[in-house]
Amino acid sequence: MRSASMPPAAGTGLEPGFRGVICASFGSTGDTAEQHSGGRPRHDLRFESANPETLSDLRSALGRSHVGVRLVLAGPQSDIRAAAAAAAECGLLEEEVILLSDGMGPSVIYCPHCRITTTVRAASPEVACQGCATTLAITDHFSRRIGAYLGYSAHAEEAS
Amino acid sequence: MTVTALQTGIHPAVDGGLLLEVTNVSIQTDSIVSITFADPSGGPLPSYVPGSHLVVQYGTGVNAYSLTGSGSAPSEYAISVLQVEDGGGGSVAMHRLSVGDRVQVSRPRSAFAPVSTATHHLLVAAGIGITPILSHARAAAERGIPASVIYVHRRGAGAHVADASELLSRGLTELIECTDRGSFQQVLTEKLTTQELGTHLYVCGPDPFMNTVLDQAREHGWSQARLHSEAFGAAELDEGEPFTVNLVRSGIRLDVPAGVSLLETLEKAGKSIPNMCRKGICGECSLSVLRGTPQHRDLYLSDQEKAANTTMMCCVSRSDDPELELDL
Amino acid sequence: MSITIIDKDADTAVLPERIRRFPFPFSADSYRYSANVEPATKTVTTEAGEWGARLLDIDEHYLQELAERDGVLTRDPSRMQVLPHMRPAVWDTISTLLSAMAEEYPDTMSFHREGNACRWRNALQNLDVEFTIGDDSSLPMGPLRFLGSQIQDDIILLDVREDTMWLDAGLVTFAADWSFGFDVGMNFLEIHGPVPRLKEEQIITRAHQFLLRLQPGEQYRRTNWTMTIDRRLDTSTETYPEWGPDRGTIAADPALPDRLHLRVEVQHLIRLPHSGAMLFLVRTHLLPLSDIARVPAWREKFGRVLAELPEDMADYKGISRFRKAASDWLLAG
Repeated sequence: MRSASMPPAAGTGLEPGFRGVICASFGSTGDTAEQHSGGRPRHDLRFESANPETLSDLRSALGRSHVGVRLVLAGPQSDIRAAAAAAAECGLLEEEVILLSDGMGPSVIYCPHCRITTTVRAASPEVACQGCATTLAITDHFSRRIGAYLGYSAHAEEAS
Repeated sequence: MTVTALQTGIHPAVDGGLLLEVTNVSIQTDSIVSITFADPSGGPLPSYVPGSHLVVQYGTGVNAYSLTGSGSAPSEYAISVLQVEDGGGGSVAMHRLSVGDRVQVSRPRSAFAPVSTATHHLLVAAGIGITPILSHARAAAERGIPASVIYVHRRGAGAHVADASELLSRGLTELIECTDRGSFQQVLTEKLTTQELGTHLYVCGPDPFMNTVLDQAREHGWSQARLHSEAFGAAELDEGEPFTVNLVRSGIRLDVPAGVSLLETLEKAGKSIPNMCRKGICGECSLSVLRGTPQHRDLYLSDQEKAANTTMMCCVSRSDDPELELDL
Repeated sequence: MSITIIDKDADTAVLPERIRRFPFPFSADSYRYSANVEPATKTVTTEAGEWGARLLDIDEHYLQELAERDGVLTRDPSRMQVLPHMRPAVWDTISTLLSAMAEEYPDTMSFHREGNACRWRNALQNLDVEFTIGDDSSLPMGPLRFLGSQIQDDIILLDVREDTMWLDAGLVTFAADWSFGFDVGMNFLEIHGPVPRLKEEQIITRAHQFLLRLQPGEQYRRTNWTMTIDRRLDTSTETYPEWGPDRGTIAADPALPDRLHLRVEVQHLIRLPHSGAMLFLVRTHLLPLSDIARVPAWREKFGRVLAELPEDMADYKGISRFRKAASDWLLAG
């Protein structure tokens, strides 16, 4: 099934059948994951950011581990949310993943009108969609699958 | 549905269910028989969720038994019953059934469902606990989802061993039979520590057996959401104690029998009570309580409101006291 | 419910069917959220007629609405999604709904199942198809899109696991101001996050528990409402830039009574028998204010509901910019 189609672990150094705690940190986050391993065997993964390549490394680490494993994700919201979505696809359940957000960093906004996501660096109620240039109002409705907040055309009802 | 009941009355737990005919009885082991039911007119039966049970009426009592099929568009329902000499009498009554007998049953009820996102089912059964596990194994084979069965039984006394073995040629991944404690412990430890991440565990058997399996799984780091056990939903069969209501404004006293709701009792007495869901959620059938402690079973009132004991939802709630006074 | 019989008979005799069978949702002069569920297929009488005897409601707009759905799906395939583990639930939905529809419309439809082999006939579309349950390739457009071409309801499937429900499949072309494509994969509480007051009033927690306790085969329903400008079924977030501007201009439009519609969703909640998934059907009914006004009790009730509705609820429903104009028109009647 899923594990058979996994690429071989890309240098994660994780022994097959690992059932301890995998701590994956993104960006310059410090070792916040430490206090969450609870004395169990621990394996650290450090990534610059969540991108297709690093998420594939994470998947491969999860593919080698067995039921019993826990995952701690530390770093900016957008990175750890994307990693959590990848972990869920690998069969990890909500109660087996701990998210440690460092409370900063960009957030990702989904445009339902053109289905493109835009990354927002500063806190702001509106953003111009990178896909269709619509000014989007940003809501706090969040999709863990897409890893983004919902936006919508901010001024559609106002007279043009 | 109009039913020519053989029994004196229809038990609330099977009310709105089906009247079925016994079409086959076969001996599984010294103490276990398999009984097959079908619609007397030969019609199809409702599909059911793998791991479901059927509530079967015998005399004035009811018992729940696991269905052993996959649940997909069945023409028959099959259960297997272990004779329990000191039980409530249900198993003895089931063992007396013969072809042609008619039995009132509930619609299949689901309380032990497979997880649809699982990529592997680890199915663990002991003794008569094989019945819902067989249902799961059959459904997994039909859906092409890998499943492993660990089956603990006394040597020569395992029900459905042939049925389970036969599934191996139809998609079941593996069947491990254990006839002693030592070999089971070894298999269990090995399985609990080597499962890929999409695996869920399902266990059915005697309570101490289930507790042992679940405890060990937790010790090996299995989270609660991966663990599934058959508990036969005792609460849903709870018909409650009888009690009396005193309708202060009307000057009437009414007896609410076990298995009959207060709302039904009031309606039978000619009281028109606004109601909608009859399930304790919409809040329509609220009544004011003047004296006595209601047994709140609804989802509508807040914990605070329930604690005040001044309001009750008469479609599901009953009484903790022998008598309640209502502002009615 | 009190009905003034004297007015009723004279008026309803001449009312067109679209009014007589409209599921008018208000029984009082104010509206708040509630878990207003009741058993499915119970007939409800209104001041103008009755509705609700059937699970699947086919009306005069049948072919036109199905054509509209097809157009939406062709333009935007994201309105239909099935996460892989939901395939059995989709087939469970098909066998449940087609057999129910055949029972409710025996003159025009029939459904026969032998094992997994099925035959479906629908005279309203001159259709006679054979397919195999579980075999996605046995229906030309795939099972869910096929079902969406037979019933007017939007179809939402929630998987039950981890003590909650997950919106993991569906076909939603007539959304009232939400994005199905964005919500796919969310759990029940996440989906309802944006609705004001629900948290405080514990309605969602109650509804959540109620739904989780439903046993396979049980069928319930509730209604919900909002307002839509013109007879537009697709008011999804996706197309909001197209229909949103009307919200800003309708209050001043002399054609308001004909353009502004009361939109009522009859929502069915069905626990599917084999997959155990929760099927949520949303059937949308639209009736212009000019038709509402033909039933005096409706005109008055709806006018008062609109006048009284708290601001946060009006904002969430997206009717703040014109509800006063609508209410004034209705109550001036």
